[in-house]
Amino acid sequence: MFQSISRITLIALVAAAAVLADEPKCSATARECDQLIRQMLSGRRFLGVTIEERPGGLVVKAITANSPAERAGFATGDRLIALNDKPLTKSTAKEFKQLVAAARETGRLRIIIYRRGAYKVFEPRLEPYTKEQIDKIVAAHLSQSHTTTAGAQ
Amino acid sequence: MAGAFLAKLRHPSRGGARPDRVSFFLPFLIIALALGALAWRSYTLSVKMERGVSQLAGQYAGYAAENTALRVDAAVAAETVRVAEEWQQMEKRIPEPTFNTLRDWVAQHDWILSAAYIPDYDPASTIFASEVTSPSKARAKISREFFTSTGAVKYEYDPRRLLDSLQSAVRQQPFVRTPGTFGIQRQADVALVAIPAASGAGLHKIDDGFAFTSRLAAPLHSFGIRAVVRTEYVGGSGWENQRTMSLWMSLLALVLTGIGGVLAFRGLSKETETMKLRGALIANVSHELRTPLSMIRLGAETLKRGKLKDHERQGIQDQILHEVLLLSHLVENVLDVARIQNRSTKALAFTPVGPRDLIRTLVSTYESWIRSKGFTVAMQLDETIEDQMWDRDSVSRALLNLIDNAIKYSGDDDRAINVILRRTEEHIVIEVQDRGVGIDSNDLTKIFDPYYRAKFSDTTTRRGAGLGLTLVQQILESHGGRVEVDSVPGTGSTFRLMFPRGLSGAPAEVPALRTREAF
Repeated sequence: MFQSISRITLIALVAAAAVLADEPKCSATARECDQLIRQMLSGRRFLGVTIEERPGGLVVKAITANSPAERAGFATGDRLIALNDKPLTKSTAKEFKQLVAAARETGRLRIIIYRRGAYKVFEPRLEPYTKEQIDKIVAAHLSQSHTTTAGAQ
Repeated sequence: MAGAFLAKLRHPSRGGARPDRVSFFLPFLIIALALGALAWRSYTLSVKMERGVSQLAGQYAGYAAENTALRVDAAVAAETVRVAEEWQQMEKRIPEPTFNTLRDWVAQHDWILSAAYIPDYDPASTIFASEVTSPSKARAKISREFFTSTGAVKYEYDPRRLLDSLQSAVRQQPFVRTPGTFGIQRQADVALVAIPAASGAGLHKIDDGFAFTSRLAAPLHSFGIRAVVRTEYVGGSGWENQRTMSLWMSLLALVLTGIGGVLAFRGLSKETETMKLRGALIANVSHELRTPLSMIRLGAETLKRGKLKDHERQGIQDQILHEVLLLSHLVENVLDVARIQNRSTKALAFTPVGPRDLIRTLVSTYESWIRSKGFTVAMQLDETIEDQMWDRDSVSRALLNLIDNAIKYSGDDDRAINVILRRTEEHIVIEVQDRGVGIDSNDLTKIFDPYYRAKFSDTTTRRGAGLGLTLVQQILESHGGRVEVDSVPGTGSTFRLMFPRGLSGAPAEVPALRTREAF
C-alpha cells in the first residue's frame, strides 16, 4: 500500500520535472539552430555604435569596444550630420540604421559628425561578425533554449 | 436583264400557260436571299457578342485578380508593420529584450518561423529564437529585417502561412459585379495560387471562361491571385455555341424555304397540267362536235336537194343517224364526267341487273356500228352469274366506252374484240380484249386522268375527248370496284372491270375526281 503510493508520487514528480525542464526549447535540433543562426548573420556587418535621438539630431550614445566605430575614432556625444552624402540632421535612428544597412554590400561609409564646434569626417568600414562573436551567439542560444539537447551534442 | 426580271415580276404568267421556272422561283430566291442576309447578320452579331462577352469576362477577371492582389499586398504590408510595431512596444517596456521576450514574440505570430534580435551596443549579444510549436521546416522562407530604436530584428517567415492568415482579404469580392445576364458568372472565383517563376501571370483562356493571374508584390512574387470568370458563350461547342446555333437555324430556314418552293412548284405544275388538259378537252370536244355536225349538215343538204335514189337516201339517213349516235354518246360522256365530278345529286339507280343481258343488249344495240367498222365481237359469258345491284346505264356506258376504245385504238390486221364475263373469288369481271396498238407503259398510269390522251393519239385519226377511261374509272369506283389494264404495245390491251361480288346497294359516297377542280 505505502509502497504503491510512494511509487505514484515518484512518477508524478519525475513527470513534473520533465515538463518543467522542457519549457524553453526550440522544436528544431541544436544543429539546425546553429546553422540557422550562422546563416542569418552571414551577410551582416556591424559598425558598433548605439544611437540616440535627441532634439536637434542623432547623437552617438555608446561605442562598442573593439568595433569599426571605435577604430574610426567615434566618441560618445558626437552629433551625426551626414552619411554617404545624405543629411541626417532630421533623420530618425531607424533611418540611420537603414542607410547603414543599405551600404552593407560595399561596407564603405563616409560619416560627417559634429564634435565640440567642429565637423569631422570618419570613413569606417563595416566589418563582418568575427567567428568568436558568432560562436558566442550560438552558445548563448543553445544554453537558453536547448538545455537538454545541448548536452547530447 | 434586270428590266426583263422586273417585267416578269409585274406581269407573271397567267393561268393556262405554263409558268416558266425562273419567274416562279424568283420569289423563293428573294426569300432565300433575305434569309441568307438575316443569317449572315445573326452570325456576325453572335460573333460580335461572343467577342464582347469574352472581352468583358477577360477584363472582369483581370480586374478581380488585380484588385484582390492589391488588397492582399496591402494586407501583407500592414501585417509586417503590425508585428514590427508590436516588437517595439515590447522593447519600450523591456529595454533589454531577453530570449524569452523574443520567443514570445515569435510564438504570437504563427507565420514567423525564427527571429534574431541584434542590439546596437553589442552584436555579440544577439539573441535568437525559433518557433516552438511547429516544425521549422517550411517549404519556402523569406527573411525580413526591421530596425528598432535599440537595434534590429531579423526574422524568417513562411509566406504561405502569412497569406493563409490573410485569407479574408482574398475572399472579399470586389464591389463591382457583372450584370449576370450576358451569360457571365456573377462573381469571379478568386483564389490564392503559387505561380512558377518563369510564367503563369496574365490572362488565360480556359475551357469555359477566362482566368487572370496577377502576381503579388515582392517578396511574395512567387504567389499570385487567380480570378476565374466563366461564360457560357466561350468554349460551348456544337448546339451550345451561339454562332453554330445561328448557322444551323439559318440552314434550317433555307431548307424549309427550299422544300416550300419545291412543294409549291409541284402543286402549280399539277394545276397547269390540268389547265393544259382542259384546253385540250375544249379543242377535242370542238373537233369531235364539228366532224359529225358537218357530216350531218352535208347529209341533210344532200337530202334537201332531192333527186336521190332510195338506196342513196337510205345510206345518207344511216350516216346521219350514226353521226347523231356518236354525238349523243360524246355529249353523254362529257355530261356524265361533269356530273360525277360535281357529285351531282342525281344518284345512280342501283337495280338488279343481269350482267349477261346487259352485255348482250349492248352488243346487239351497237352491232351494226361495230360491224360497220369491220370488227367482230366474240362473247364468252358465264351463264351462272346471278343478277347484280348495278346502275344499268352507267355500266353500259363503261362497257361501251371500252368497246369504243378497242375499236379506236385497234390495228388494221386483227379486228376482233373479246368480251368476257366471269367471276373470281371476290369480283364479277367484265373483260374487253383487243388486238390493237396497246398502251405504252409510260402512259399506263395516266390513261385514267381526265383529258389525258396517250402520246400517239392524234386528234385527226383517233377521235375522242380524253374522257372515256376517266368516266369508266369513276363508274367503277361508284360501284366500289376498280379498273385493271394489261397491255403489251403492238399486241393489244385487256381492260378488266372488276365489280365486287354480291353488291346489294349503293356505296355511301360517289368518289370525287382526284384533280383539285372539276371542270
